[in-house]
Amino acid sequence: MTSCDTCIVRNRSICAGLGSEELAVLNRIARTRSISAGQTLMWEGEDSLLVANVIEGVLKLSTGTSDGREQIVGIVYPSDFIGRPFGQRSLQTVTALTDARVCTFARSAFDAFARDHPELEHKLLQRTLIELDRARHWMLLLGRKSATEKIATFLLEMSDRLVPQGCDQPDAPADSFTLPFGRQQIADILGLTIETVSRQLTKLRAEGYVELPSRRDITIIDRGGLTALAG
Amino acid sequence: MWPYFPDLLDRAVPRYTSFPTAAEFHGGVGANDQAAAIAAVDGPASLYLHIPYCRQICWYCGCNTGAANKAERLQSYLDALDAEVDLVAAAMPKGTGIARIAFGGGSPNAISPLAFVRLLDRVFVRFAANAPELSVELDPRDLTGEWANVLGASRITHASLGVQTFSPDLQARIGRVQPAGMIVDAVANLRTAGVGSINFDLMYGLPGQSMAELLDSLDATITLAPERIALFGYAHVPQLMPRQRRIDASSLPDQAMRFAMAACGHDRLTAAGYVAVGFDHFALPHDPLALASKAGVLRRNFQGFTDDQAEYLIGLGASAISCFPDRIIQNEKGPGAYRMRVSQGLMAGVRGVRRSRDDRERAMLIEDILCLRPADLSLFVGLNELGVALSDLCARGIIRWDGEILSPTPSTRPYARVIAALFDPYRATVPERFSNAI
Repeated sequence: MTSCDTCIVRNRSICAGLGSEELAVLNRIARTRSISAGQTLMWEGEDSLLVANVIEGVLKLSTGTSDGREQIVGIVYPSDFIGRPFGQRSLQTVTALTDARVCTFARSAFDAFARDHPELEHKLLQRTLIELDRARHWMLLLGRKSATEKIATFLLEMSDRLVPQGCDQPDAPADSFTLPFGRQQIADILGLTIETVSRQLTKLRAEGYVELPSRRDITIIDRGGLTALAG
Repeated sequence: MWPYFPDLLDRAVPRYTSFPTAAEFHGGVGANDQAAAIAAVDGPASLYLHIPYCRQICWYCGCNTGAANKAERLQSYLDALDAEVDLVAAAMPKGTGIARIAFGGGSPNAISPLAFVRLLDRVFVRFAANAPELSVELDPRDLTGEWANVLGASRITHASLGVQTFSPDLQARIGRVQPAGMIVDAVANLRTAGVGSINFDLMYGLPGQSMAELLDSLDATITLAPERIALFGYAHVPQLMPRQRRIDASSLPDQAMRFAMAACGHDRLTAAGYVAVGFDHFALPHDPLALASKAGVLRRNFQGFTDDQAEYLIGLGASAISCFPDRIIQNEKGPGAYRMRVSQGLMAGVRGVRRSRDDRERAMLIEDILCLRPADLSLFVGLNELGVALSDLCARGIIRWDGEILSPTPSTRPYARVIAALFDPYRATVPERFSNAI
């Protein structure tokens, strides 16, 4: 059995729908890697050497701003694809927010494979369109909304994306989930202060939208209400 | 029918996509002025991204474009464009709203759909763009079903098709062969993909073009019902555009014929329900361009007539022009030199012009005239020198002039550029580099 056969994200990843022969080829050029929280997989501006599927964990995409700060421009989750096939340079820094496992490919080998398999190229395009949608969503989140709207949108997005592995209904959002990051990181992502994040979460609990079983655990009680708050 | 005054039309005048025009650009304004202007942006900005490549180069074209014949060549240009996006976005004040993002060329669909989506993603993220209006110029010959799907999925709202003419014979003469069925398919694909506003670029004055052929092309256009139409006069300037030397100039329509074509074209389109916008655009009455024209807020910029009200237009890519209230700056034209600059972290602007108070006042008057709305001359200092010329135009019925307000008449449109040129102090002598007004 190859590692592709037992891969828990295969049916939702860019590899979904590939035949067994293609998978066997891909399996030969794939390497599974564990990275620990805080470790960086790719650096912005450097030669793009890798592409990868996320198997487990959550990673952040960031770019440096002119004044040296870090701007988080997206979050990737299990089954997401990272890196830019056919691209010379990495345009984002990819850093693990939690301990993570990724299935990496040398970009050159992946490019060659994609060129020979138009259906994969097509999938890559579909993925990129989804990324574009997420980026627009993200920019809307960062740009327009009040602190309450930002937190509500953020929690809904987390519940949408942090679906348990191997779930039979991969599209159903999870009502209970563990946040992969602390409040300071949420604050950084949303461009808020840590105090605002804490106050907003407390307020959402007091008003019956969510339960907070622990500092990292969230249970959504009133999804409709939270959606209305998100604007 | 408009009255024909050949003496007014026999000299070359600018198209005034800016004032001062590109003829006044010089090397004394460049990257530093560009950086300072970008840092001082104070209000919504619109972005224009130039893709200077086409799969096939048409002989008539005056655009800065080259053959998209090598994947590496395109990729290294796109890498440079990414770098410039980073550079400019970093220099722009945080929180600057992005009103519109336009892709032009060349042909933006000469690059791969994947590269396009990535570029769009990059621009959205770097400029933290919320919900800008998105427009793309397209070559129908390369508008595959996949491309149309991608445009739909990217929520592109405006597409402009280079149609030029429906006549197979004329298409062969100008080196742009695209059967009518291709245009029909392109429109259908764009509609299916949800693109709400389609523009056709059309041409009159093509070599060997007859009035009947022009009207046929207009009728074919009317049937397909694009929201907008730009009807341009072909400018034959082979001394500036060497690729035009391939066109047989012996059969070019003469000035009287060009005038008649512009006039009949105008009549045919307005009779079909289009509203004339500016001196060469048309739009369906419900279209924002027609509404802007009616409301007196039409603008003129490097892309033609527009309803975009942003005071800051940021051009990205080789030869792209950025327009700020007090200066205009053009990027390095050659893709190679452009790449060198931005990969070294330098702004790409290499020439341009600062706009004095006098320039800005004249620019507003010129915009009013080209947009066919009243221009208030009561505070204009250069008025004395113009008295004779204005009286002459008035006597011919081309304008109305009450001593303060210059108002358009039904005969103004074909002479708008000629009238505008009166307010252009840089046009004292007649250079060769412009095309005829009609």
